[in-house]
Amino acid sequence: MKQLIAIMIKEKRDIWLSVLLGAVAGLTSVALFGLSGFLISKAALQPPLYIITVMAALVKFLGAAKAGSRYAERYVSHRATFTILSNLRVSFYEKLEPLAPQIFGRYRSGDLLARIVGDVETLQNFFLRVFYPPLVLVIVFLSTIFFTLFYSVWIALLLLAGLLLTGFVIPGLLALRQRAVKQGIRQRRADLSADAAELLYGFRDLKLHQTLTEKHAQLLHTADLYVKEQEKEGLSAAGGQALNTAAAMAVSFVVLALGAYFVTIGELDGLFLAMLVMISLNIFDNAVPMAVFPAHFEDTRQAAGRLFSIAAEEPPEIKTGMLEQKETFSIEWRDVTFTYPGEARPALKNVSISMPAGTKTAVVGPSGSGKSTILQLLLDMHQPEAGDILLGERSIKEVRPESIWSKTNVMLQANHFFYGTIRDNLQIAGDDVTESEMKESLRLTALPFGLDDPVLEKGENLSGGEKQRLAMARLFLKRAPVWLLDEPSSSLDTLTEKQIFKELFKKAEGNTLLLISHRLTGLEKMDQIVVMEHGQVVEAGTFAQLMAKKGYFYELKQIEKSVLND
Amino acid sequence: MKELRKWASEQKGIMAAIFILSILLGAVIVGQSYFLVHIIDEIFLQKASFDTIVPMLGFLLGFMLLRPAIAYVNARCGVAMSSNVKRRIRAALLEKWTKNPVQTAIQGQSGSKITVLMEAVDGLESYFREYMPQVVKASVVPLILLAAVLYTHVWSGLIMMITAPFIPLFYIIIGLKTQKKSEEQLDQLAAFSGQFLDTLQGLQTLKLFGRSAEQRERIQQSSLGFRDATMKVLKIAFASTFMLEFISTLSIGLIALNIGLQLVVFNSVSFVSAFFVLILAPEYYAALKELGAAFHTGRGSLGAAEKIKAELESVSQPVKWGSRPVPARPALELKQINFQYSGGFALKNINMKIPPGARAAIIGATGSGKTTLLNIAAGLFDPPEGEVLIDGQPRNLFSESSWFGEVSYISQHPHLFSGTIEENIRMGMPADTARQDIEAAAEKAGLSELLAELEEGLDTKVGEAGRGLSGGEKQRVALARAFLKQPSLVLFDEPTTGLDLKTERILQRSIDELARRASIVTVAHRLHTIQQADIIFLLKNGEIEAAGTHSDLMKSSEAYRAMTGGGAAG
Repeated sequence: MKQLIAIMIKEKRDIWLSVLLGAVAGLTSVALFGLSGFLISKAALQPPLYIITVMAALVKFLGAAKAGSRYAERYVSHRATFTILSNLRVSFYEKLEPLAPQIFGRYRSGDLLARIVGDVETLQNFFLRVFYPPLVLVIVFLSTIFFTLFYSVWIALLLLAGLLLTGFVIPGLLALRQRAVKQGIRQRRADLSADAAELLYGFRDLKLHQTLTEKHAQLLHTADLYVKEQEKEGLSAAGGQALNTAAAMAVSFVVLALGAYFVTIGELDGLFLAMLVMISLNIFDNAVPMAVFPAHFEDTRQAAGRLFSIAAEEPPEIKTGMLEQKETFSIEWRDVTFTYPGEARPALKNVSISMPAGTKTAVVGPSGSGKSTILQLLLDMHQPEAGDILLGERSIKEVRPESIWSKTNVMLQANHFFYGTIRDNLQIAGDDVTESEMKESLRLTALPFGLDDPVLEKGENLSGGEKQRLAMARLFLKRAPVWLLDEPSSSLDTLTEKQIFKELFKKAEGNTLLLISHRLTGLEKMDQIVVMEHGQVVEAGTFAQLMAKKGYFYELKQIEKSVLND
Repeated sequence: MKELRKWASEQKGIMAAIFILSILLGAVIVGQSYFLVHIIDEIFLQKASFDTIVPMLGFLLGFMLLRPAIAYVNARCGVAMSSNVKRRIRAALLEKWTKNPVQTAIQGQSGSKITVLMEAVDGLESYFREYMPQVVKASVVPLILLAAVLYTHVWSGLIMMITAPFIPLFYIIIGLKTQKKSEEQLDQLAAFSGQFLDTLQGLQTLKLFGRSAEQRERIQQSSLGFRDATMKVLKIAFASTFMLEFISTLSIGLIALNIGLQLVVFNSVSFVSAFFVLILAPEYYAALKELGAAFHTGRGSLGAAEKIKAELESVSQPVKWGSRPVPARPALELKQINFQYSGGFALKNINMKIPPGARAAIIGATGSGKTTLLNIAAGLFDPPEGEVLIDGQPRNLFSESSWFGEVSYISQHPHLFSGTIEENIRMGMPADTARQDIEAAAEKAGLSELLAELEEGLDTKVGEAGRGLSGGEKQRVALARAFLKQPSLVLFDEPTTGLDLKTERILQRSIDELARRASIVTVAHRLHTIQQADIIFLLKNGEIEAAGTHSDLMKSSEAYRAMTGGGAAG
């Protein structure tokens, strides 16, 4: 929470302005009602006409002031909110940036990013719904209470009690109840969503095994439980609101009764009775935003907790070693074992692979064999449990990951493209990349795009094959001496694949290259093929050697051959 | 909007209750003001003693507490109405999906269906829980207040009547303007707001290219751009509230001035009436403003209602069944089948005969209708034209349960349900199926090694919350289901890509074993499978281009030679 306030407080001017304007709006509204109560009482006493005229003018002025300050308050507070959001994003990005990409390995859920964005968005409510409404409320109440002190201490005290009750006690109690209810809703919602997924995704199996009716009935039941839980929330919210209004009404009633009593015993001038009652009836409108305060408070507290706990993660230990090589280098795996956090089976078991400088290695194997993990470890996104990886002469344990990334051309299975143009996306390869180089790169990858063609979010206007080719085009512009490619052609047809591999091998001539592949075609030229299964190297050798050996690779190849190209 | 109203009209009882409650609320406001004014009058002008007002105080307290009570009951009605509608719609959707196999079988749409069932249905809540009660309340209450004011003081009532239409009018004008403005800014807004997520998602790429640090600027710029674009839209909305507030304040001021003058100069109105009007006027305008605000609340549900409507209106074609039991080892025949659905895949003039115990293979390019054919053979949906015959009799004469008791379907991506592996194999079998039988089925399907590795063996939890199984392992569970069921027809969608060697071998062996007592129809991708088949159907664009054994087709079909030859060379 502290960090959050620190970020927010940067917008001091707008914050205080919002509070000030909010207080003015609240106070003018109270004043308006009080004055009209006073006006009508005064009028009943047949005063000189000018008093009525002056006061009527005052009423109009207050009305205009109220509307105007409300407008200004909304404007300023929303502007402040969005500026704070911007500050939050920047500040959070600064914290997250050094942690990436390793942090994505630690949180394996794919929705981590969406959650971060959602949480940051939740925090924008902090100022608008959590920070300043109570401030405004307290200012308006205290000023009013101060004003009423001139007429009756008891009525002032009553209003104070009303403030505590409607602004803090009742919303607080309601929030406690809602917290439990919300937990229930989340649970039921997850249940229903899971059940619905089972019904729809498993439809065929349910139907064929004649368990569809059962599942249908179960789903209706889960849906019912979910609605019941939501109902609880609705009722408790309505109950809280009613309770709050009842409290406000009760206070106003006591103000009237007590005021009337004071008039009868001569402690209060009857002229002010209507005014005090009108003030009391109106002032509680200011407590309305407090009804949503606890919920927002809770939401922002949780969001801030989650975010700052991610941001507070230890940045990976800063290593000092740098890869100095200008030229390509060898990669040597020595008996590496690795298990993903939270998994029982190791993803890699005693893997030793030797890739001399300038050689081309392919790693093949069925999905789940650990071949992609090879790349994760090479990029230092995960660290081996046992064994070591040597890059050139140096152990990966002492080399800065940034230095590995800058020396390698990496293509992952999922490549990100940014909203913008083809040019924007290619320029990432380097500021010094020229226009003609970009065009050449597009040509080599057989992409028919112009540099100014648009790229939508996540490249969703590109097909799978186009994405892979664009990623390759981007790599061609990077000019690092080592290539690490994870299934770079899985979405390409055989012909295009051949053509692009031809260009790739030209570009990578003399460079060390690691190709992770699901397919077994086009591997004849590799210096070495490593076959993996269940995290272990089953066999390794050239294409010809492996085929001659008639081992695991040979059999895989036979199956691939017998699968029709349809 | 029409759908929403229709669903609301089904809730007549609740709507009537809300209507009555709103009338009551109006009356309570009037009553409260009446007693408030009279008490002050008694004390202030009549100089009455405290004792004389005690009964009136009693009434006032009653009215003041009735107000939140009515509001609460009203809110309860809203909650009940939204619950009723949500229940009813979810039930209708589920009914639709379970009875509408064609749509449901199109797997790709499952994700969006879940969104409809969850988000869209929940999206109706604001309409029924808030909007409807609010609209009724905001339409009824001002009328009652107006009547009370008219009765007390005609002139004030007239001012209220004349100024009232400006409020909804303003809401409409401004609402339209904001909408236009926000539509204009929509692209810009979307682009700005997506930028942060875009950058975070691309962080890995940025890091690999060493370009992440400079993104700070970009995030700030886009966030501030978002702020400025949004403020443009919000400004209009805020200006509208400003105008509304202004109108109502002006009107109240007008009323106040009028009664003030009448009270002081002309003495034509009593303090009680004047004060009464002065209390009711703000209540009246507040209620009108609520009516305007209500329209914004209801908006959100429109999109949700559209989605639900589209889903409910899709055509449904339930499969027809009869009551006869399916004979042991039946022959299956598809006769003159035509089929197409909105996705465009079609089957034309399909004729297939699969004698008892035969092994049939269906081959053809992607999109040629193979899986649809398999689904029709399985009885998952009826072809709109043509017949499926069992031992020469139309399938709709036979009972659903006896048919499905004889069929197993091993798809490329079998679904594992939350539960243990045992429950997943047992699926739909009688409750007294012995544990040994399940173990035996698991063993035949090549699961023994996996089960031995797992601490809890067959009792290991799988599915959503449990352990994830690989694609090959899932297929083996599906095989185990088939071994347990011992069907007389097995439908098999062969994997399109190479699996690990072990699963490949197990699949082949298991299918051979199942073939001993069942007919097998395979959508085949492996040369081996095709060569083993007693009859091969070559599908092209939804039609059977050639049929026969491997050697027949090698002789007669160019397309077949191209396909299998190409595969061997690949």
